[in-house]
Amino acid sequence: MKNFLEIKDLNFSVDNEQILKNITFEIQNKGDIICILGPSGIGKTTILKSIAGLRRIDSGLIFLNNKILTDYNRFVLPEDRNIALSFQDNALFPHYTVEENIEFGIKRSLFCSKNKNGPLKYSMDKLLDLFFIPEIKNKYPHEISAGQSQRVSLVRSIIHNPDLLLLDEPFANLDQHLKEKIQENLKEIIKSSNITTIVVTHDKYEAFYLGDYCGILLNKKLVQFDSPYNIHHIPVSKEIVQFFNRGVLVPAEVMSEDTLYNDELGKIKGKLMKNYLKGEKLNLLIQPEDLEHDDTSHLKFQVIDKKFRGTGFIYILKTSSNLKLPVFVNSHHEHLHAENDNFGIKTPIYIDHLVCF
Amino acid sequence: MLSQKYTKLFKFNYWFISSLLISSIVCIPLIVICSSFFGELSDYYKLLKDTYLYLYIFNTLALLFGVLILTFVFGVGSAYLVSFYRFPGSTFFTWALILSFAVPGYIYAYSLTAFFEYFGNLYSILKFLFGEGNYNDYIPRVDSLLGSIFSISFSLFVYVYIITRACFIYQSQSQIDAGKNMGFSNYKIFKTILLPSARPGIIAGLSLVAMECVSDFGTVAFFNVQSLTTAIYDSWIIFDDINTAYQLSFFLIIFIFIFIALEKKLRSRSRFNIPSRGYRTVEKIQLSGNVKWFMFALLFTLFFFSFIFPLSQMFFWIIKFPSNLNFVNLLQLILNTFQLVGFTTLILILLSFITNYGMRISESKFLNLITSFSVSGYAIPGIILAVTLLGFISYISNYLNNDSIKMLFIGTVFGLIIAYCVRFYSLAINGIKTGYDKLNKSLDDVSCLMGNSRLGTFMYVHFPFLKQNLILIAMLVSIDILKELPLTLILRPYNFETFATQAYVFASQDMLEFTAGPSLFLILFASLIILISRKKILKGF
Repeated sequence: MKNFLEIKDLNFSVDNEQILKNITFEIQNKGDIICILGPSGIGKTTILKSIAGLRRIDSGLIFLNNKILTDYNRFVLPEDRNIALSFQDNALFPHYTVEENIEFGIKRSLFCSKNKNGPLKYSMDKLLDLFFIPEIKNKYPHEISAGQSQRVSLVRSIIHNPDLLLLDEPFANLDQHLKEKIQENLKEIIKSSNITTIVVTHDKYEAFYLGDYCGILLNKKLVQFDSPYNIHHIPVSKEIVQFFNRGVLVPAEVMSEDTLYNDELGKIKGKLMKNYLKGEKLNLLIQPEDLEHDDTSHLKFQVIDKKFRGTGFIYILKTSSNLKLPVFVNSHHEHLHAENDNFGIKTPIYIDHLVCF
Repeated sequence: MLSQKYTKLFKFNYWFISSLLISSIVCIPLIVICSSFFGELSDYYKLLKDTYLYLYIFNTLALLFGVLILTFVFGVGSAYLVSFYRFPGSTFFTWALILSFAVPGYIYAYSLTAFFEYFGNLYSILKFLFGEGNYNDYIPRVDSLLGSIFSISFSLFVYVYIITRACFIYQSQSQIDAGKNMGFSNYKIFKTILLPSARPGIIAGLSLVAMECVSDFGTVAFFNVQSLTTAIYDSWIIFDDINTAYQLSFFLIIFIFIFIALEKKLRSRSRFNIPSRGYRTVEKIQLSGNVKWFMFALLFTLFFFSFIFPLSQMFFWIIKFPSNLNFVNLLQLILNTFQLVGFTTLILILLSFITNYGMRISESKFLNLITSFSVSGYAIPGIILAVTLLGFISYISNYLNNDSIKMLFIGTVFGLIIAYCVRFYSLAINGIKTGYDKLNKSLDDVSCLMGNSRLGTFMYVHFPFLKQNLILIAMLVSIDILKELPLTLILRPYNFETFATQAYVFASQDMLEFTAGPSLFLILFASLIILISRKKILKGF
């Protein structure tokens, strides 16, 4: 197998209830970052624990770095896998200081299997600096905040220099501004140390920023595994659209291979992502950035709500058939529309990727 | 799939050993007692049933009733005062009150008798103060049931005190503030907010008291109260009628089961647990004026009667009759006690580590079940445990016609240690379990992923974390073995004495002054251990 990591047909169940169904994905290159996105309580953590060997899977294959870790008759013990997992919470040893906790990740004791990767090129102090916690080295876990202990746990996992780094909601307890800085530093560290990483998160922007690839986990299955760009622009199922909650589905009819028609919006041009028959009726996904504002347009709808998003506004427009169309407009736009105003949309409508279901 | 099942089955058996072992020994008394109760009745039992049986049961109940009332008042009252008020000595009494844990009921009984008897110490004090006079007629006789109630209450109220106090102080201040905000008086806050939320703790404490009280042997034996425990002892030792001993034990066991059931029912869903972090402790109210001295006087009286009084009585005797100490081989007693404590603690810690570790990694429900049964050994009164073990082993060795089993268990230190292990198994299991509960399970995973084998995880993560708990277990086991009387008395080798049995032997030979030596050292050693581990004990064991 030429891929660095391969997960094939992984099934997992607890008490006869299936939690994960046929999870399959692969990472080609060492050093790639994969983000797994999904709502809470769906089994994202379970995937990580299965890969780490902390949970026995029902069936499936896990292959890492030229070694089969799990298949139908093999099971490499978690301590021999050289995989580090940073838990979401409460994962520091309460009787050791922060420094001792991190050293636990470096220490190779009598009862330890050897780590062939050697030491990480970052020192403990450097890592603590990069995560903005240089001053807590001598404190005990109960003396630091949840966000701090999460970062300590992160440092401990990274400094272990594993073949595969698994991060479970690594920024769950951080405030927004710190989160972004730390995300940047984390990406830098991982990329420059060439550590293959799987991050589990429910934050889409985090996943899109960190991930070379993203997987969407819904209803026990990995429904899409693709680059962040494609995940955003070309979602493969209605469930994913609903999970992201960013667009609406508009009924449309296929006119030709690059044109759709909707009764209220008129002709919609763009590149259809799949081949459809002429005259076929389907639903078109319209995301906020798809429609363009144009005050001079004759196509006008009533504004029923607007959401200020800092960089812009998202206007919600109501059509006569009660569709609620979201439209993103730059916040420097001079014409501010109030609710109940009429709002023009540029015609003919052109959308890069016509995603239909 | 197949290999997975095999490994599971293997783990299964492996971790069961200790719990299964203890459980089966715990089963012995229950099986023996129940089977003999429905078996053949001896003549002595028939006679007893017509004459004294109901008296025994009545006395046991009366004793229980009195002790429960007194321990409730002493325990909850003192816990309330030290938890919510600041007055002279309030910090001191917080830990000083638990010193009474060092004084077993029977030693309290010796001092109580010495004080109130004809020409006793009270007489001497009155004579010293007011000169010669016929004081004996006016001094109340504290003996029999009343004496037992007082002695046992003073030695057991600590259970209620400790657990109730732990409930009180970990109560959140915001509840009290809410009460104040609604205009409640202090009394109403206590009655409607504090007491109900401490209820599970109080019930837990009282049920401990109840079990210890009905199992008490030393005190009632000394005061000649005809209770179930003394009757069991007498029918075994004096009448040599083991079947009657079993049949009487049946009633005692019924009591114990009722307590356990009652406690479960009364506590129902509410649980007494102490948050490890994130609570706001209660702000104490500073008392002023006469009230603060009144509170001080109340607690001082309690402290004085529960601890200073028996201690000073023993000191008094030693000073008065120093030559009595020659009858006590102090070094031998210390060695004997150390031997018992050392081996018992070692075995207990080993067994409970195996079981706890097994429960942690195997998550087997059956193991949990069997463990929760095996810890019920603490509920079996020492005297019943001793009598049934003896009877069972003689039966087995007679059946096999092999005396070596008898030689191994009966009248040996080994047999005694086994019995202690059954009795104190819950102490050790729970001591380690509370530690493990605080150690998040994902930490095992972290350690494992860092490349540690199970042994490595145990050595570097579990053991250092649980060290504190181990020390506490050793301390508590020591105190219990120091104080344990009936079990030691019946199972010990010939002429093998601990402080407790030595004092008992003197007292039963009417040589009360001679009890001072062993009693004093018992109290002093136990107090020392309590002082060292007071912070942990105050947290609720």
